Amino acid sequence: MVQSIVSTGVAIGCIYALIGITYNVMFSASRVFSFTAGTLGMLGGVLGSLFIARMGMPVVVGFLLALAGGAVLGIVTEIVAVRPVLKSLDQHLYVLSTLALALMIQQFTAIEWSTEPQPFPRLINVARGGFDQQFWLPMLACAAVIVGLELLYRHTLVGRAFLAIAEDNFAARALGLPERSLRMASYALAGVIGALAGFAGGEMLLAFFANAPMLTFYGFVPVALGGMGNNRGAVVAGLLLGLFQQTANFLVGGIFASVAVFTVFIIVLLARPEGLAGAALQRRV
Amino acid sequence: MDTPAAQLRPSHSIVLGSASTIGAALPFLVLLLVGVTFPLFGGGYWGVIATRACVYWVLVSGLNLVVGFAGQIAIGWVALLTLGAYTTSVLVAGNVTPALPPYLALAIAAVVGAIFGLIIGLPALRLRTFYFAITTLGFATIVTQVALAWQSVTGGGVGVAGPIFPKPFSSPWGFYYFCFGLAAICTWMTANVAASRFGRALTAIRDAEVAAEASGISKSALLGTVFLFSGAVAAVAGGLFAALQSYITPDAFTLDLSILFFIAILIGGRGSILGPLLGTILLTVLPEFAAPLVAWSTFLYAVLLLVIVLAIPGGIAEILDFRNRRPLESDRAIIPRPDLLERLLGTPPDAGALTLEQVALSFGGVKAIDGLDLDIRPGQVHGLIGPNGSGKTTTLNVISGYYAQQRGAVRLNGAALPVFARHRRAHMRIARTFQTPRIVGSASVLQNVMIGGTIDGEGTFVESLLSLPRHRRDEAMLRDTAMLALAAVGLERLAPVRADRLQHSELRFTEIARALMLRPAFLLLDEPAAGLSAEEIGRLGALLLAIARTGTGVLLVEHHADLIFDICHHVTVLNLGRMLAAGTPAEIRSHREVVNAYLGG
Amino acid sequence: MPISAADPLLDIAGLSTGYGKIGVLHGIDLTVDAGEVVALLGPNGAGKTTLLRAVSGLLPWSGSVRFAGRDLAGASPRDTVKAGLSHVIEGHRVFTQLAVLDNLLLAAYDLPRGERASRVEEAFGLFPEIAAKRHERAAALSGGQQQILAVAQGLVRRPRLLMLDEPSAGLSPVLVDRVLVVVRRLREAGTAVLLVEQLIEKALALADRVYALARGSIVLEARTGEADLPHRLEHAYMATASRHT
Repeated sequence: MVQSIVSTGVAIGCIYALIGITYNVMFSASRVFSFTAGTLGMLGGVLGSLFIARMGMPVVVGFLLALAGGAVLGIVTEIVAVRPVLKSLDQHLYVLSTLALALMIQQFTAIEWSTEPQPFPRLINVARGGFDQQFWLPMLACAAVIVGLELLYRHTLVGRAFLAIAEDNFAARALGLPERSLRMASYALAGVIGALAGFAGGEMLLAFFANAPMLTFYGFVPVALGGMGNNRGAVVAGLLLGLFQQTANFLVGGIFASVAVFTVFIIVLLARPEGLAGAALQRRV
Repeated sequence: MDTPAAQLRPSHSIVLGSASTIGAALPFLVLLLVGVTFPLFGGGYWGVIATRACVYWVLVSGLNLVVGFAGQIAIGWVALLTLGAYTTSVLVAGNVTPALPPYLALAIAAVVGAIFGLIIGLPALRLRTFYFAITTLGFATIVTQVALAWQSVTGGGVGVAGPIFPKPFSSPWGFYYFCFGLAAICTWMTANVAASRFGRALTAIRDAEVAAEASGISKSALLGTVFLFSGAVAAVAGGLFAALQSYITPDAFTLDLSILFFIAILIGGRGSILGPLLGTILLTVLPEFAAPLVAWSTFLYAVLLLVIVLAIPGGIAEILDFRNRRPLESDRAIIPRPDLLERLLGTPPDAGALTLEQVALSFGGVKAIDGLDLDIRPGQVHGLIGPNGSGKTTTLNVISGYYAQQRGAVRLNGAALPVFARHRRAHMRIARTFQTPRIVGSASVLQNVMIGGTIDGEGTFVESLLSLPRHRRDEAMLRDTAMLALAAVGLERLAPVRADRLQHSELRFTEIARALMLRPAFLLLDEPAAGLSAEEIGRLGALLLAIARTGTGVLLVEHHADLIFDICHHVTVLNLGRMLAAGTPAEIRSHREVVNAYLGG
Repeated sequence: MPISAADPLLDIAGLSTGYGKIGVLHGIDLTVDAGEVVALLGPNGAGKTTLLRAVSGLLPWSGSVRFAGRDLAGASPRDTVKAGLSHVIEGHRVFTQLAVLDNLLLAAYDLPRGERASRVEEAFGLFPEIAAKRHERAAALSGGQQQILAVAQGLVRRPRLLMLDEPSAGLSPVLVDRVLVVVRRLREAGTAVLLVEQLIEKALALADRVYALARGSIVLEARTGEADLPHRLEHAYMATASRHT
C-alpha cells in the first residue's frame, strides 16, 4: 500500500511539477502568469490519444506531434494573449486574456474531442504491473526536463539569453538581444514542457478536457509554494504535493483529500505569499 | 447647510446638468418597463429565460462591485451560488433542521453567503492577482466537491429539491416577478453604491491604490464590506436558482457558470452598472437563439472576453459612453484662482510643525537616508532638492508612511507618527501628490477629486446602499467641495470629462485638487513641475504659495531649481541621503558645495 | 549609402520624446562626428538618459535621427547595434546570475559563432581586471567592476559610436580614470563616443565638444577649448530664465 501511495504520489507530483515549470518558463520570459499552462498539459494527453490511439500513428510520431502541438499553443499564447497586453498600462489584463484563450481551447476540446475521459494508449508494449510505466514515465519526463533545462541554460547561448531576459529584460534589450524572438521561443519551450507532462501522464490522467482546470490549479501550487520562477522549488513542492494528495486520498478519501490539499495550500500561501523559498529572481531595485 | 462652496452651485449645474441624470436613468427605466410588461408578450419558455437572467443578475450585481469596481479577479464566485442554493433548499426541505419557511431560509442563506464571501475574498488582501484568481477557482471546486460528498445533508449526487415560495410567487410568472423585483432592488442598491464615496473608493483601490491609501481609504475595511455584501446577494441568488431549477445536484454548479458571471461583468465594462446588466442579459439570452449555440456557449463567452480585452477593454459601457466622445477644446489653459483657497481650506487647526529627527533608512546595503533632520512649518513652503538618488522621494515616502524609517522619528506637533500607517496620514490632514499622477482614468475628473474627500463622509455603506438622507448629504457636500477645489486649481470646466483624456499637466493639477479636499495641514508634493510648461510652472508656484498663505505647511520635492528658488521660504539640499545645506534660497544659490553637487565633481 | 567626410556620423534633428503623456525632450538637435568624443551634460531630470534611450531604439521618438547615413526611424535596439551604435545603459546593469564570460558572449549574440570567442578576448584585453574573473558570476564583482563589464559589453561589437550613460556613477576615482583612458584610446582608434557624465571636469578634459541639456532642450553647445566654459555651463543649468509672462 505504501509503495502504491509513493509511486502514484511521486508520479503525479512529477506531472504537477512539470506544469509548474511550464508556468515558470512563461513567467521568466514575460513576468506574467498564463492560464494556458494547465491547458497545455491537457492537450498533451488529448493529442497523444488522438494521434496514436485514434489515428493509429506510431508512438514516436504521435509523441513528436503532440509536443509540436504544445509548441504551437505556446506561441499562440504569446502572440495573442501576452504580447498585446504587455504594452498596456493595465497590468492585469493578461489574467483575462490568457483565461479567455485557455477556456476557448478547453471548450473546443470538450466539444470536438469528447466530454468524457478517453483512454490513453499504452506507450511501451509490456504487461502492466509492478513499477509500471504509468508511474515511471512521468518521473522520466520530469528528470529529462530538469536535465534538459540545465543543459540549455548552462551550455547554450540561447539558454543563457533566456536567463538574461528573465533577470533584466531592459538590459537585454539594450544589449541588442532579440528579445521578442527569445520570448516566443520561451513560450514554445513552455508549450513543449506542458505537452510532455500531459503525454507522459496520459495513462494516469486519461485524455480528458477537464484535466485542464485541474492541472491549472494543481500545477500552480508548486509555483506558489516553490517561489515564482524557481524551477527547483517547483519540483520539490510538486513532489510534496503529489505525495500529500495521495496520502490524504488513502486516509480520508478523494473528496476530502482535495479539501485537505486546498486548505493546506491556502494557509501556507496566506502565511508566506512569496512561497516557502521566496522568489528566485529579485527585481532590480 | 450652506457650505462655503454653495456659491459655485449654479456653474456646476450648468456643467453637469439635470439632463445628464435623466439620460443616465433612461436605460434603466426602459429595462424596468420591459421587465414589468414582459409576461404580456413573452411566452412561457422565455419567461424561464427571463427569470434566469434576473437570478443571474442578482448575483452579478454584487459580484460587479468586487470585480468591476474593486478590480479583484474573483473567478470562482459560483461557490456562493452553490452555498446559497443548498442552504436554502436544505433548510426548507427539513432534512437536517425542522423545515423553515422559504423567506427565512433565504435570509439565513444570505448570512451564510456573507460570511463565506468574506472568507473567499479576504485572501485578496494578501495575494497577488493571479494567485487570488487561482484560489477562488479552488474554492469553487471545493464547495462542489463537498456538496457531492456530504450525502447526509446535501443528498450527494442525487441532490435535493429546491424551495417553493408561497403564493403569489409559486406560479412561474409569479416567481418571475419575485426575481425581477429582487433584481430591480439589487440594481438600485448597487447603483447607489456606485454613485457614493464607497463606489469611488473601490475604483481608486483598483486603479490608483497608492492614491487611495493617501486619501485615507482602508482597503481591508472596504473590500471586507464589499465581500460581505456580494456574498450575501450571491447566496440569495443561489436560493432563487434552486427554486427555479426545482431540483439541484452538484453538477448544476459548473465552472462554466462562474465564468459566465465573471465575463458578463468584463463584457459590460468595469465601473459600470448598466454595462454588466446588459452583459448578463446578453450572455443568458445568447445561447437560446440557436441550439448549437448552447453547446458552444462557453466558447463564445471566452471569444467575447478575448475580443473585449484586446480591442475594447472598456466593454459595453465604453461603447455607450457618448458623452466622452465629444471633442475637448484644444487650447486649454489651466488658470488657478487662489482667491478661492480660503473658502475651500478655511483656517487649519494649529497643527504645530512636521519634523524629522535623525531619520535613517537603508535598502540592502544602500543608505537611502542617512541621519536627516527636517522641519516643515505651517504657512511656509519648504523645498527639498538634490541630485538623483539623494533620497528626496524616499524622505517624502517616509513622511507619508509608505516606508518605515529604521532610526529616528517623524513627529507631528511633537507626537511621533506611526510607521507604515499610510492610510492614517489623511486623518492627520497630511496630504500628498505623486511623481507620476495616480488617477482613476475611467472616472471623471470630478469623481477623482471627490475621492480625496472620502474620509469626510459620514454615512455608512448601508446608508449608501439604500440612498438614505445622510448619504445624499455626503454626496452633495463632496460634490460642492470638489467643484470648489477644481475651480481653485483652474480645472472646473473639465469636471465631467474622463480623466484619461486629460493632458499630463492637467492631471498634475487634478492631483493637487484631490489633495486639497483633505483641507491639509501639510501638503507634500513629489516633483509636481515635471512635464509642465514654463507658464504652467509659474501658475503652479503661485498656487502653492497661496496654499501656504492660508496656513498649510508645504513640502516641495523638486528638480526644477527655478521653481524652488522662486517660491520656497526655506530649502534643504540632500546629497547621498544626508543634508548638504539648508537655508533660504539666496543662501543655497551661492553655496559652493550645492552648486558642485548639482554639477558633479 | 556611404557618408561623405563632411556628414556627421550621428545626426539628430528635432527629436522629441517622453514617457506616456509626459513630454521629456522637446526638439533636440545634436551631432557627433566620426572619431570625436562629445560630452552631454546637464542637471538631473534634464533628459540625458532619455535622449540616449531614444537614439538606441529603446524608446519611441519623433523627429529625425540619422546614423552613418541610415535613417533610424523605427529601429529597434538590435537594429542599432547591428548598424554600429552601442549603448551602455546607466546603472552598471549586467546579468548577475551569469558568468562574466557569458555576459560578454551575450553581447556577441548576433555575431557568427566563430567570431564570438575572439571578440570576447578582445574585450578582455582592454580590461584585464575582469578577464581575471571570467568564470565568476557577475554578482561576485564589485559595482565598479560591473560597470567595467558593461562597458566591455558595449565594445564587443566594435561599434562606430559608443554611447555611455554615466559610466563614472558609483566608481572609485581609480576606476573612473581606467574607463576614461579606454575612452581616449577608443577615440584614437577612430570610435566616436557620446558620453553622458556628471563629472564635468573629467568630461571636459576628454571631450572635443560639449552639449548642455536642461529641461528637455539643448541650452549650450561649445567646443571644449572655449573660454569660460565652466561658468557658462553653471549659468545654463541654474538659469532663472525670464519665463513668467
